[in-house]
Amino acid sequence: MRASRVRVVIAEDAALFREGLVRLLQDRGHEVCAAVADGDALLGAATRHRPDVAVVDIRMPPTHSDEGLRAALELRRRHPETGVLVFSQYIETRYAARLLAGNASGVGYLLKDRVADVAEFTDALARVAAGGTALDPEVVSQLLGAGRHAHGLAALTPREREVLSLMAEGRSNAGIAATLVISAGVVEKHVASIFGKLGLPPTEGDNRRVLAVLRFLGS
Amino acid sequence: MGSTGPVSAASASPPGGRASGPAALARTLLLEPFTRRARLELLFCLAGIPLGLCLLVVPYWGAGFALAVALIAPRYESTWVAAAVTITGMLLLVVLATRIARRLGAVHRRLAARLLDERVEPPPPARPVRGALGRLGAGLHDGPGWRAVAYQALKLPVAVVQSYAVLLWTAGLVNLTYPFWWGLFRNHPPGVTLGPVPAAGPFPGRALHIATFAGTFAAFTVGATMLLAAPWVTRAVVAGDRWLLRGLLGPGRLAQRVRNLEQTRALAVDDAAARLRRVERDLHDGAQVHLATLAMHLGMAKEKLGDDGAPPDVARARELLDAAHRGAKDALGELRDLARGIHPPVLDNGLEDALATLAATSAIPVELRCDLPERPAPAIETIAYFCAAELLANAAKHSHADQLAVRTAGRHGMVVLTVDDDGVGGADPARGSGLSGLAQRMRTVDGRLEITSPPGGPTRITVRLPLRT
Repeated sequence: MRASRVRVVIAEDAALFREGLVRLLQDRGHEVCAAVADGDALLGAATRHRPDVAVVDIRMPPTHSDEGLRAALELRRRHPETGVLVFSQYIETRYAARLLAGNASGVGYLLKDRVADVAEFTDALARVAAGGTALDPEVVSQLLGAGRHAHGLAALTPREREVLSLMAEGRSNAGIAATLVISAGVVEKHVASIFGKLGLPPTEGDNRRVLAVLRFLGS
Repeated sequence: MGSTGPVSAASASPPGGRASGPAALARTLLLEPFTRRARLELLFCLAGIPLGLCLLVVPYWGAGFALAVALIAPRYESTWVAAAVTITGMLLLVVLATRIARRLGAVHRRLAARLLDERVEPPPPARPVRGALGRLGAGLHDGPGWRAVAYQALKLPVAVVQSYAVLLWTAGLVNLTYPFWWGLFRNHPPGVTLGPVPAAGPFPGRALHIATFAGTFAAFTVGATMLLAAPWVTRAVVAGDRWLLRGLLGPGRLAQRVRNLEQTRALAVDDAAARLRRVERDLHDGAQVHLATLAMHLGMAKEKLGDDGAPPDVARARELLDAAHRGAKDALGELRDLARGIHPPVLDNGLEDALATLAATSAIPVELRCDLPERPAPAIETIAYFCAAELLANAAKHSHADQLAVRTAGRHGMVVLTVDDDGVGGADPARGSGLSGLAQRMRTVDGRLEITSPPGGPTRITVRLPLRT
């Protein structure tokens, strides 16, 4: 995944961070088509450049509340083929829910801190660009910690919980296997067991799987 | 009890605009009847008299009741009926008195505001209740209502004096006319004796009697004197009425205090929320961005250095580490400024040290003198410090001053902070500067802000805060 060159548009109002991000992505061999500072400029740039993915800060001018999120949703409506990686200094599960409503393909929601792990961040970006999903572990742990499904989750083994978290973050079986340093076959077995214990219908495709898990956690 | 706000801007006009001396006094006395103020006060009296005399109607009500009782009672040969009717009448009066007095009070307040520029806040409205008993109870407990009743009662003698003032004006004017029409009506043939014509004097019941043309000049003189005296009599009685208005038709000391506290509490709550929001914004846009960027640079540098062995790109790694280093220092600076903005640590040593630090960082030279015999409460020190900081910043921004002076003094359980500048003046809290915000913050601890800033300067802003919260 690392080798593929991704075309990116960045929307971030803090100039310092924006410049850093541009450098980081260019260093990694990606193409930054535009780096803008607000939602309207993002929509304009996306229409002009048709990027693979847009990296969008949630809080941007003029109101510094959620205009980035609204721009991201509008972007998804206008250009469903463009991936949207929203990032922010806080994680709000409500925002994640709005972003994922109905369709988890080509969506990401990460804490800004994640850029510190350059490889993971660019992996997540490439995944979203390719139509995958990337959810911050923080979102998943907030949902897991909400306690609404304590009885269902209690049935899972610690290992299965780890797999569930990674699955919710949007990782493929291969990705989970690499992270946990186990074989893909073992991961498959865990996944089947989790779906069985939580009563989820088995689904094909990583994104549908993410949605199924999130619906379970969020319902 | 007048609702003076926490800000009082002293008038910018220089004192001594009027010349003093006997000539000026004579001028004032002669011209007073023609001033706008005298006219408005006369109008106030005129408008108030019928309202004031309204209460005279009450005895007629009483008479009506008595008549009704007298008519009914013998027919039933029972004093019980008379008693019942009387009690019913009294109860009705109790229920209605406060309501009517409140209505009339509102009219009086409006008149005073329109004609005298005497603005009295209305009292809190009576609690709405249902049922006859409830109404009776509410009527009995309606403090502001009964104060309004008291005003109506006291207005009666006041209205009598006001009538006298009006009489001075009208009779004075009429007396002035005597010499002009005397000849028209007194052209009788010689030998006919006519009775003298009465003219009203300044003392009611003691009329002048004018019999000759020369006498009309006496009437003229008396009239002129009455007219000269009229504005002062009017003013005196209106002053008394103002006093009654403020005392009896206002919200009352306690209610006013409660209203004040409610307002300042709302301000304090809003202020606290706004501050927290500002701190969050500052953190989000400042230190957090710096730290996120720093983490990003370090992450990139780590990649450039590789996991082990010879680093693949040392030059770029150095550059990134350099950026990270700078970012860390910036973040520290941001956090330090933010922390100081929340609470300057030097304030723990006392207001004097904190103000000295503040003065040392001012762009315009500041002369500082602190004379506090007793250390104020920490919250007061904090408010005083941030006031001084804001006033110095304001002065640096707007005053074009060359020299500032900051003084603190302790007087009668108050901390008095004065900030003087020799700049261009014209500071006005109404024009949306930070001054109105300061005044609001001060109100939460019953502090006051006084501004003297005539155009052309100099400006003096005085902050008075209680020593304890």
